[in-house]
Amino acid sequence: MARYIAKRLVYMVLVFFLLTFILFSLYQLMPANRAYTDARTEIQTMKRLSEAEKATKFEELYLKYQRMYGTDTDNTLILYLRWLGFYPFYDGHYSGILQGDFGFSYDYNLPVVDVVPVHMRNSFLIGLITEIAVLAVTIPLGIKCAVKKNSRFDRFTQFFTLIGFSTPSFIIYIVFIVFFCSILRWFPVSGMKSPGTNYTGWRNVLDVLHHVTLPTICLTFGSLASITRITRASMIDALNLDCIRTARAKGLSEKVVIYSHAWRNALIPMVSIIVGGFFGTISGAMILETMFGFKGMGLLFLNATRTADYDMIMFLEVIYTFIGLFSNLVIDLCYGIVDPRVRISK
Amino acid sequence: MEKKRENVFRILARWFVRWFFGPKFEEKWFHVEKTTEEKEIKFKDGVPDDSELIVSPGRQVFNRFMERKFAVCSVFVVLVMFAVVFIAPHFMTKYYDAFTETTQKDLPPTMDFMNVPKELAGNIKMIDSYSSFSVGLSNDGMVYVWGIGSIGATGVDIKKIPDEVKNANIAFVAAGQDHIIAIGDDGHFYGWGSNRFGQYAVTDATKDNPNLAPVPDIVLNGELDVAHIKKVTCGFQASAILMDDGTLYIWGNKQAYANLDKFIGRTNIVDVDFTLNYVVGLDSKQTSVYTGTKGLHAKAKDHIIGTNTKAMKDFLNGRKINEVRATSTSVCLLLDDGTIGFTGDFPSDVQEVPELPEGEKFIDIEAGTYHFTGLTNKGHVYSFGGDHYRQAEAPKVESAKKIYAGAFQSYAVDENGKLLDKWGLKGYLFGTDDRGANIAERVIAGGRITMTVGAVAVIIEIIIGVSIGLLAGFLGGWVDIFLMRVAEVFSSIPLYPFMLILSSLLSQVSMTTDQRLYMIMVILGILGWPGFAYITRAQVLVARESEYVTAAQAMGVKTSRIAFKHILPNIVSVILVNITLRFASSMQTETSLSFLGFGVNYPQPSWGNMLSRASNAVAAINFPWQWVFTSAILIMTTVCINTIGDTLRDVMDPKSTNDK
Repeated sequence: MARYIAKRLVYMVLVFFLLTFILFSLYQLMPANRAYTDARTEIQTMKRLSEAEKATKFEELYLKYQRMYGTDTDNTLILYLRWLGFYPFYDGHYSGILQGDFGFSYDYNLPVVDVVPVHMRNSFLIGLITEIAVLAVTIPLGIKCAVKKNSRFDRFTQFFTLIGFSTPSFIIYIVFIVFFCSILRWFPVSGMKSPGTNYTGWRNVLDVLHHVTLPTICLTFGSLASITRITRASMIDALNLDCIRTARAKGLSEKVVIYSHAWRNALIPMVSIIVGGFFGTISGAMILETMFGFKGMGLLFLNATRTADYDMIMFLEVIYTFIGLFSNLVIDLCYGIVDPRVRISK
Repeated sequence: MEKKRENVFRILARWFVRWFFGPKFEEKWFHVEKTTEEKEIKFKDGVPDDSELIVSPGRQVFNRFMERKFAVCSVFVVLVMFAVVFIAPHFMTKYYDAFTETTQKDLPPTMDFMNVPKELAGNIKMIDSYSSFSVGLSNDGMVYVWGIGSIGATGVDIKKIPDEVKNANIAFVAAGQDHIIAIGDDGHFYGWGSNRFGQYAVTDATKDNPNLAPVPDIVLNGELDVAHIKKVTCGFQASAILMDDGTLYIWGNKQAYANLDKFIGRTNIVDVDFTLNYVVGLDSKQTSVYTGTKGLHAKAKDHIIGTNTKAMKDFLNGRKINEVRATSTSVCLLLDDGTIGFTGDFPSDVQEVPELPEGEKFIDIEAGTYHFTGLTNKGHVYSFGGDHYRQAEAPKVESAKKIYAGAFQSYAVDENGKLLDKWGLKGYLFGTDDRGANIAERVIAGGRITMTVGAVAVIIEIIIGVSIGLLAGFLGGWVDIFLMRVAEVFSSIPLYPFMLILSSLLSQVSMTTDQRLYMIMVILGILGWPGFAYITRAQVLVARESEYVTAAQAMGVKTSRIAFKHILPNIVSVILVNITLRFASSMQTETSLSFLGFGVNYPQPSWGNMLSRASNAVAAINFPWQWVFTSAILIMTTVCINTIGDTLRDVMDPKSTNDK
């Protein structure tokens, strides 16, 4: 088992470097030149210089900034290694993600490491509540539909989950916003707290809850349908297994057959969805956060791409890639826990 | 029997017959060899002995698919959607992506633009239209309003005619962008609609605004001599009353009409009209279009699209101008000898002035927002000018005595006030969007793009995914390991962040909208293929171990033949199911991206970016038609595609029959 994990980890690191290198080199294509713009702005503050002096001074400053930002070369590999922290800057110091320097957000005027955690916490909280609510609803529903396959209840659920599954999530959000914010006026449309207020303590908690409730409901409804369908499908497959027939033949009660025998088998294909869902909460829900102005990871990323906040994008990409790879590893390990056969063969 | 060579039409006809009437008729009418299997059921001891009935797997799947009514309906709906979305754009000759029309913004679905009330239709005194509604006046002084009453989100309902207007005997009416004015036969002045810019009344809110020209007191007090009113007309947010003696009363929003000041208090005006930004008039000399702004309409041309613009003096050549009629951007001049001339700009999509037959000449011209309608001395009508809504395609009308035009409609009326014919814009099936474009047309054009993106993305996915899956499955060994690792890398790329980065990168590079569209398809395809690769590989591995392959190998069948003749057909069914499901999800991904503004961008329509305005809650509740129809069609399409996929999976799964 340990060997397997070690193997996976090595592979993970390789893929991580590969992916980040691809993204990094993609970003080199962007026609943004920080050293150039910084040198430009500084030269404009010096008014007393003549044109010729300005030109030479500019060259000087440009080189200085290039060396400072580590962009004094065109070699993408060197740039990438500098970004990682494996290759020294001009003055010999190392400053990359290995040294814990993830860069500086020009949009927020803060180091990116200071900006991200708040957003990540927001996304994670809302995502976690959603994930729990979704699983609490969909799993019993899916099991019930599978057990009573083709009953009226099942057909009814199937019909609605088909529609829900086929509807892009943003349409669900629009409907909810129109219904709850514009018609019923129960919840505010966007933001994290009432504008102009500065509540503390209990009032603050209530205010935040008031703002966060609708996004959570929306997010929950957005993923109900697909997970119900998946639960139902895997449960139906599990109920068709020979072992279930055997269990029934043994005279086990229907409850034991369904929840103990069938459900454990149905869980195997669902592991990736459940575990992946939990990890996905950290990445945030981009469309939802944009529509509600919810300060989570998705909105942060979207704004960063809109304003071309280079370091922020790269840092978020690192997080996304890492989460993706790590969740794959955890999913594989969970397969081992859920499915004894996998453990034996490893 | 010698086999007859069939041409394409015969084949199509045969298929048609087979589809709708069945193979029996196909055999009978087309004398083809028997294609149906003998289905005579033999009876053995009174019990049907059907143990010999063997149906091919394909036919079995087909039969079972046809049993599911919902799935068959879905196939039908999807086919219809495809047909509409790919064929209908060829009939929307007037449609283009970037079309905008200020006066037609945010209009709800309606088809009532030309629904002249029955009581009015035989008894018309005058009709005027602006933007989305029309006002009519009957010979007995009653006012009628039709079209769309509510103006935007202002809460103003223009259809609510004030009671005093209903009770009064009205002599003149005119319609502006968001207001209507009426003058009773006793000179009393009425107005309703929006008064934000002092359109018909002087209130505390409008009194001190320097940008507004107030309604003259003589008009407000009802001291006008109705018998000598020559013309009542309205512009965007301004109105004018012209008397026979040349006195002009004009008021309204000066920001909308920069030269309105120049007309206030004039007493030598013969005719006046409003374009979108300027007031145009005709002074008593009748030799030039007066705007108060030098050179604005000093050149006239004798034909709409004639490039030859002569100076006004050359054009007139001693003749006098009798009437000026203004559209949003252009002015039509009717000279005293019945010829017409034009000045100003015209949209690209125009109908030319027809050649009049010998002895026929124009005696009246009326103007809509872009088109002109002319009446000749023989009672015929002709329309010309802007034709985007086919408003300049006049029908044949005999013995018309009066014509009325406004907005995008024209009406022809005989001497008794009976409506002879009406033509122009009927309305919008799905309403209009915030740029004034017809949503129904954009839904069709957008569907074409959304479906194309979805389909092409899936095709790219299939090509890459299936070939890699086949290679990995067949070759095995290190090739398999390597390819699967590559697939894993691709599947661990987070889709949305990556798309967003690529999209913002691409926006830095200058590329045409079409190139951008191709890029989106390619990116979606490249990021989506691992799913197909996994499925194909798994299927190939299973198939390789199955008994029929072993049997084939034992019989000495060649490997390539096993691969393509035995294994591939068994994989195809699974791939087909996944194609269908992936198609729906590609469409969803595209719409989500476009909704966020990182996919297909305006002016190109896609079902996603057409919905992006609804992310604003205020817009979503005020203009529900702007998202309800589009999302309903999007959901319907994806539901149907998913149903087809699900049903295919069900009917192709041999196990699923057992527990039915």
